[in-house]
Amino acid sequence: MPIKAAGPRLYRSIKFEHLAQSHGHGKASNISLNLTPFVDMMTILVTFLLMVFSASGEILRAHQGLELPLANQKAALQRAPIILVTETTVAVLIQDEGSAMPIMKDVAAVQSLLDNPPPTLKIDSLHEILKATYDQIHNNIAAEKGITKDELAACKREAEGLPPVTKSGGTVLCPDGLAVVQADKKTDARIISMVVNTARQAGFEKLLFAIKYSAEGAQ
Amino acid sequence: MGAAIGAGGNSKHDVNVELNIVPFIDLMSCLTAFLLVTAVWVQIAQLDLKPKGKSRDPSTIKEENEKVVLSVLIQHDNIWLVQSRIGEQQAIPRTGDPAVYWGTFQASLADLKKGAFFVDRSDIELAAESITDESAVYYQDIITAMDIAKSVGFADIGLTDRDGLTAKPTL
Repeated sequence: MPIKAAGPRLYRSIKFEHLAQSHGHGKASNISLNLTPFVDMMTILVTFLLMVFSASGEILRAHQGLELPLANQKAALQRAPIILVTETTVAVLIQDEGSAMPIMKDVAAVQSLLDNPPPTLKIDSLHEILKATYDQIHNNIAAEKGITKDELAACKREAEGLPPVTKSGGTVLCPDGLAVVQADKKTDARIISMVVNTARQAGFEKLLFAIKYSAEGAQ
Repeated sequence: MGAAIGAGGNSKHDVNVELNIVPFIDLMSCLTAFLLVTAVWVQIAQLDLKPKGKSRDPSTIKEENEKVVLSVLIQHDNIWLVQSRIGEQQAIPRTGDPAVYWGTFQASLADLKKGAFFVDRSDIELAAESITDESAVYYQDIITAMDIAKSVGFADIGLTDRDGLTAKPTL
């Protein structure tokens, strides 16, 4: 490839004399940029982003092959063990005590569950993990360990048979026996039945189905 | 200094103030970048339910056969609304526009909620029957049914399978 001469340069070949506001001096090259619109735009952007900022962090993580179903509900999702159902796999996302990040454990393949459904609708490998998780959470709550004040109050109300307290962010439920189901919207109902049945048998009597808010709902 | 007073001209009475906005722009840029990275654009919410059926603790199973229970069964081609004890059932065919048949479901559920059996109650049973891949009922259908049930006042939703329903449709 032949070497060519360098192309045009600003202020040499392309003149921008109109930007350089000379005050009587011929060689002055200071340019005063008007920063007001830039600052205005930044202020608006920062205000908007601060309004939508969530300090509590994301409870759910995006996964390949998982699109949440739509519903017209706004109740905020609560932190709990997550049962993940993607197009291909069933997995569990658990917050381990020894780790800062939640650990994901694959449980079963969706297609194999559909081909050979368990007779009692209980996924044994999922049951094993959920049962251990339930016991751990249950013991932590009994020892008042790793639980917020609101959650502890919710547990006391639940023990007394009182309805949960609804706050501005939504209802706070006792984490004892609470799990989140994060499933793809095209998951077969048979898989959902298996997951729900297994969770109940492991002790998770309260399930939260994660959905994507839509003002029109699914319709 | 953040501001230079009287730097704008030579006049004695000049009171123009030139603010140094460079640190302000620096801060704004950092804040914008941070907020853009951490922004959550999708609004995720929850639908709560109580699973029905076999439990880990057998003492939690309650026999409540005395009251009328409203059972909803979602099939590939129909949505059934069945009331136990009185044996009333309604089938809503799932043909044509989904907005139409879900609208019919909502209207029927709202009528039942106003009725004598359910006016002061909020419990409902829900099941989805998916037999083969061709006649599959999807998770979105369950969520839509739950969403509608909650919107008409049935907030206490119990999810089970067809066999777990108190009242099943009879052909």
